[in-house]
Amino acid sequence: MSDITYLPGKEPHEKEHRLIFKNVDRKGWNTKIKTYLKEGGYEMAKKALKMEPQEVINEVKASGLRGRGGAGFPTGIKWGFIPPNNTKPVYLICNADESEPGTFKDRYILHQDPHQLIEGMVISAYAVGAHVAYIYIREEFPEAAITLEKAIADAKKNGFLGKDIQGSGFDLEIYVHRGAAAYICGEETGLIESLEGKRPYPRIKPPYFPAAIGLYMAPTIVNNVESLCHVVHILRMGGEEYVKLGTPRNSGTRIVCVSGDVKNPGFFEIEVGKVTFEELLYDMCGGPRDGRKLKAVIPGGSSSKILRCNETFKIGRGEDAKEMTFWQLPLDFDTLAAAGSMAGSGGVIVMDDTRRMSWVLNNITHFYAHESCGQCTPCREGSTWMKKVSDRIEDGKATPNDVQVLEDIAYQIDGKTVCAFGEASAWPVEAMIDKFRDELVGETSDENDTRSAERVAQEQFLSAVQ
Amino acid sequence: MSSKIEVPRPRSIDRSKLSYVRLHAPEVREAPKPLMIDRSSAAYSSAQPSVLEKNVHSPVTPGAVHFPLFKVTPSLQKAADKRIAQYPDDQRRSAVLPLLHEVQHRHGFISPESIEWVAKKLDIAAIKVVEVVTFYPGFRQKAPGKLHFRVCRTLSCAMGGSYELMAKLCELTGIDRDLADAHKDPISVSPCGNYSVEYAECLASCGTAPVCLVNDDFHEGVTPEKAEGLIAQYES
Ligand SMILES: Cc1cc2nc3c(=O)[nH]c(=O)nc-3n(C[C@H](O)[C@H](O)[C@H](O)COP(=O)(O)O)c2cc1C
Ligand code: SF4
Ligand code: FES
Repeated sequence: MSDITYLPGKEPHEKEHRLIFKNVDRKGWNTKIKTYLKEGGYEMAKKALKMEPQEVINEVKASGLRGRGGAGFPTGIKWGFIPPNNTKPVYLICNADESEPGTFKDRYILHQDPHQLIEGMVISAYAVGAHVAYIYIREEFPEAAITLEKAIADAKKNGFLGKDIQGSGFDLEIYVHRGAAAYICGEETGLIESLEGKRPYPRIKPPYFPAAIGLYMAPTIVNNVESLCHVVHILRMGGEEYVKLGTPRNSGTRIVCVSGDVKNPGFFEIEVGKVTFEELLYDMCGGPRDGRKLKAVIPGGSSSKILRCNETFKIGRGEDAKEMTFWQLPLDFDTLAAAGSMAGSGGVIVMDDTRRMSWVLNNITHFYAHESCGQCTPCREGSTWMKKVSDRIEDGKATPNDVQVLEDIAYQIDGKTVCAFGEASAWPVEAMIDKFRDELVGETSDENDTRSAERVAQEQFLSAVQ
Repeated sequence: MSSKIEVPRPRSIDRSKLSYVRLHAPEVREAPKPLMIDRSSAAYSSAQPSVLEKNVHSPVTPGAVHFPLFKVTPSLQKAADKRIAQYPDDQRRSAVLPLLHEVQHRHGFISPESIEWVAKKLDIAAIKVVEVVTFYPGFRQKAPGKLHFRVCRTLSCAMGGSYELMAKLCELTGIDRDLADAHKDPISVSPCGNYSVEYAECLASCGTAPVCLVNDDFHEGVTPEKAEGLIAQYES
């Protein structure tokens, strides 16, 4: 569409393929429903309401859409998990808690294009049979919460929400629910507990898979903001057509968010798997700042494993296995998984050669120590220990053995916790030590005192008593 | 054993400097007496120290002058009823967070009286509100300044200079962050009560680092040099 122009300096890069972000930073665009309707808004909701719910689900299944919230689970399949003999009400929740460090995509949809999300939610709610939907939005988006409530009221006035939407007999109410600055509310079962008015202690799976036992113990579908917006475009293009975008098993577009040490950080909507790290970081982001070299990249939010820029990977199995340098890796779910990391939430954090890895590690461990919900011991205690040990390393007060201690702690959290936060906090530490062990050990010294402050005081005490 | 040896104290800690001690004045407790509970006595059924007294501490800060004391007004009642209506009738508890937001928005922080009101309004025990208030960093237990700065401290912003931004803000506003603690006491208020600062975790705008929130307004690309201009924006 050639008549779309963007604000100066905000034009999409030529390698981008804008679906979801078509209206972000667009000239003359605003959050009014009139603007959205002029562009053919809510047509897809009307179309969906004339289809059978199962047809909509099939369309989404055919599209191969994978969740954009972090886990990359196929959305159509998730929708199919609602028990067929269910008698309870079904709920749809939009996860707008965007708080994975490095990720900043949902922010723009919520602030600039709320109706796209609402349309996606109408379609999705119809498909899964939900009559009440909640948007769980993080507390730090106060403006977006107001924008959304206004948009919901407008949509209701125009007959796209409320009772008997567009004469189809389908009812839907959407409510905005604000969180309160806790990262763990992004985890879907933690989010549900929080929505029930409790502390967001994640529930154990099984049995608490939200699609079977979720909000108020009823079947609940939790989807990320971006995932729900994709549904609109899947209906518009048809699943068959949508799946042609991107690469097999990694269909569609996704928004990658680049931050850190590049000349032009920002968001880019790309076809999944069609852009490599070299194209992303050099062509689209302008490469490193002058006189610096790129050192390491966190590819999918701070929970994903860090990659070194001078690494080579073996991607594929058996005959098909290929050697690939870091720069040749395409950004898709499967390749990044094969490279030992993950595409996660699409937050790419770049570090150049001026960064000390112990400092980076320390910043990350502080985040996880602050955000652990404290429900299970390995995560609660482990995240704090990791913080303390990394404090020591960063301060130059550690001994070489501390690096080993840190690694041991991480491996004792990984896989032993109620929710995936355990992995999220342990993986970055494991990977950092794996890839930068020499650098970290280099900052330690055998000379350093291994005794704790308490121990020193105790020894003084004992020697005085004798 | 003779007690003549002079024993050095293991470590001297100036307890008045520890934030949690300042917050939680030491309880004076009597040694418990063994007692047989007489369940029929009036003393048994009469008020025990409430859960609020034991668990909620709202130290008075210089910022308190900027916020009205908690009072149930018709507008608060109306806003609360609207929020409660968002949830199924048998799930009123879901409205805990929205109601606390309504209170905090009007009164700056969550006081024991407001917790009591929320609990009554939703027909739940006060402890169920207290557990929420004490868990979420988004709920404040003491009054912030008139301008509350929340500076993102996570990786991308830290690389962009948010720690320096925080230092600059503290310098400009005369805030002493030495006693701040990420868990126990994240908010530091300036002596004049006009400003307060706090570190936030990733505010989801890493591409425009460093970023911060001033009350409900979001600011991006706030390098330490822009700190002065940022404050000036609100001074007029
Ligand atoms: C610790 C943790 C934090 C998470 N944070 C978020 C988040 O901020 N936003 C989000 O959409 N999903 C987040 N998720 C993923 C959700 O649990 C869930 O998988 C997702 O919302 C499902 O939506 P999708 O299928 O559309 O991706 C998080 C998961 C974990 C384990
Ligand atoms: S893994 Fe961590 S965040 Fe998840 S439930 Fe356990 S303590 Fe809470
Ligand atoms: S790191 Fe500051 S906004 Fe993400």
